[in-house]
Amino acid sequence: MLPSLNLLLQSILDGIFLGFLYSIMALGLSLVFGVMGIINFAHGDFIMLGSYLVWILANSLRSDPSLMSVITVPLFFVIGAAIYTIIIRPVLGKEPLIQIAVTVGVGYVLQNLALMTFRAEPRAVQISYLNFYVDLGLVSVHAAKLVSAFLSFLIVLGVHYLLTKTWVGLAIRATAYDREVASLMGINVGKIFLLVFGLGIALTGLAASLWMTFGQADPYIGSSFGLLTWVIIALGGLGGVSGLLASSIIVGIIQSLTMTLVSPTVSLAIPYVVFIVVLWFRPQGLFGKG
Amino acid sequence: MMSKRSLKKAISKTMSLVIGLIIVIAVVAGVLIYLTSQPPLTTTTPTTTTKPTIEKVKIGIIEPLTGRYAVFGQEAVDAARLLVDIINNELGGVSSLGGAKLELYVEDAGTSPDSAALAAERLISNYRPHVILGAYISRLTAAVAEVTEREKIPLVMDALVDWLTEKGWNYVFRLAPRASTHGKAAVDFVLEMAKKTNMTIRTVVVLHEDSIFGTTVANGVRSQLIAKGVIPNETITYAYTITDFGPIISKIRDLNPDVIFSVPYFSDGILFAKALQASGIKVKFIAGAGGCGYTDPDSIREAGEAVEYFTNTYSYNPARQTEWNKRIVQAFQQKYGKLPTEAAGIIFYSLMFVYEGLEKAGQMFPEDPLNPDNLRAAFLSLDLNDSNSIAAQLYPTGRVKLASNGENLHGGTAILQVIGGQPKVVWPEAEEGVTPVFPRP
Repeated sequence: MLPSLNLLLQSILDGIFLGFLYSIMALGLSLVFGVMGIINFAHGDFIMLGSYLVWILANSLRSDPSLMSVITVPLFFVIGAAIYTIIIRPVLGKEPLIQIAVTVGVGYVLQNLALMTFRAEPRAVQISYLNFYVDLGLVSVHAAKLVSAFLSFLIVLGVHYLLTKTWVGLAIRATAYDREVASLMGINVGKIFLLVFGLGIALTGLAASLWMTFGQADPYIGSSFGLLTWVIIALGGLGGVSGLLASSIIVGIIQSLTMTLVSPTVSLAIPYVVFIVVLWFRPQGLFGKG
Repeated sequence: MMSKRSLKKAISKTMSLVIGLIIVIAVVAGVLIYLTSQPPLTTTTPTTTTKPTIEKVKIGIIEPLTGRYAVFGQEAVDAARLLVDIINNELGGVSSLGGAKLELYVEDAGTSPDSAALAAERLISNYRPHVILGAYISRLTAAVAEVTEREKIPLVMDALVDWLTEKGWNYVFRLAPRASTHGKAAVDFVLEMAKKTNMTIRTVVVLHEDSIFGTTVANGVRSQLIAKGVIPNETITYAYTITDFGPIISKIRDLNPDVIFSVPYFSDGILFAKALQASGIKVKFIAGAGGCGYTDPDSIREAGEAVEYFTNTYSYNPARQTEWNKRIVQAFQQKYGKLPTEAAGIIFYSLMFVYEGLEKAGQMFPEDPLNPDNLRAAFLSLDLNDSNSIAAQLYPTGRVKLASNGENLHGGTAILQVIGGQPKVVWPEAEEGVTPVFPRP
């Protein structure tokens, strides 16, 4: 049976909104990898940690989860900077295997901390001012997802502006291209790394605040998001912020369409199948330079 | 003076005599011990046999205590601890075994069949329990059963998937109603209520998580719907690790069903209820099946008003008005501060059944009551009802009689509905002062 036009449009719209949220989840990971060459396998678990923090804050303050980003973003920047100083800096320049082991270890610690503290019970925020749909005739828009998508887009643009139009951005890009030359030019590479890692983790705090407007905290969501964000980055081919945004939206639409038109069970696997096929034909990713 | 040679000769002669004497004494003693240890050939009553002294009966429990399913496993272990305490202290242990006390050994099944099988191996090699209970999640239970069957240890299962009792295993037993019974009960309830309220059901969606548990319960829903002449318009399956129900909500909006039969695990149920509430879609009724999610205190706490008037089928009825059910529900609430639901309830009657089975084994086989074959025979011989059994008083139908495959012939469910933020029993008989709300306002 053919899907109705409404359902098709609705699915695409759902996918676009989801894609924007994915972009903010993947942005921090992409920054850390692009600039520092570190594969942060604990990235998804920071989103999980942020989700629990948002759950505690929003329920205690009886407020909307999206507003909790005012607290989570600066707090996660500090946490990111601390983790960089204590755990990441000592393994910089070491074998990739050591770096992977360290970040995987951090991820496991976070996951088990969540399990110990909150058990395996999911936690949802009771108050969300944005948890309603707006009927637009052919399609309905979930307010929480619309606002999440809009804020994600603004933040992605903001980071793009930071990287391309500011001195700090120039220093970050210079460090990403060649850290030794950047150092010779007077850039404090250590400080840039600290800033980038802190920013990367701060973005997970923001993603968690937006996610909790309609999702829920669960000790295992980190694994789902961690893997998916890696696919988004690889699919984009490190093609800058615009490439990341495009690949996020592609993954979101693929997931949503498969979920609606084929089967929700299949939808979890399809982005990975597309990822393999794309890398087969374009190993540099969709937007990477060959 | 005796020469050296004659001295040696005398010693060896004495030694030979001593050794000979020892051998004779040993043989005589052996014959006497053998004769006294044999039961008299003319004895026919067990009262004159030598009863082994049993100080404790070792009960193992393997449940998922870490990972995604820990919420169920923890409640099951809490329930087991409470019951062991009641059996040992209030009931005085197993009287037919000389008042032997139950001793509980807990093992974590983890989240995979491998970890569950290892847990069973570990439990058996460390403690060799006489009976094991577990492991709530069907695929974990199957892995545990492979080990217990090989080791000939009776396993009383608290998992629901139908085929667990269809594999020809000899030492598995299950009191809880099988998964398909849950699906059937959800349909019977909805059709009965629709008839009572003159509600026409035109469109039906079956929504379920895609594990073997969700699939089996949903198959029960579909079979019963078809048997009653209602053809489901759509079946939507999803992985219980789903993080966003948006596209499924869009599909439901498109299908505009009157009734959704839903089989969630736990966290997926909360997500779905919240997403459906946000969507504003008016579904006349959402009937859960399978005893996981929607109406348990944890789901109500997290989903809030989103699950108001949702129902779910349960293998246990906390509102059943029998003396022992009221006592145990009260004791559980006092000890753990919440209403016992699915996971705890199954352990209540399963463990009480084990206790009553041990009593029976002590009477039937006083010489070797804990032998697995004797335990099996004792379990199968029990025919329990409210008047002769505590386990039956804890069971939704008030009857327990196991078939030769270990399945309860009187398996049945209760249906709970969230009314005013509280789980209330509404079917087959509503608890006092409660009326089922159908359709949803």
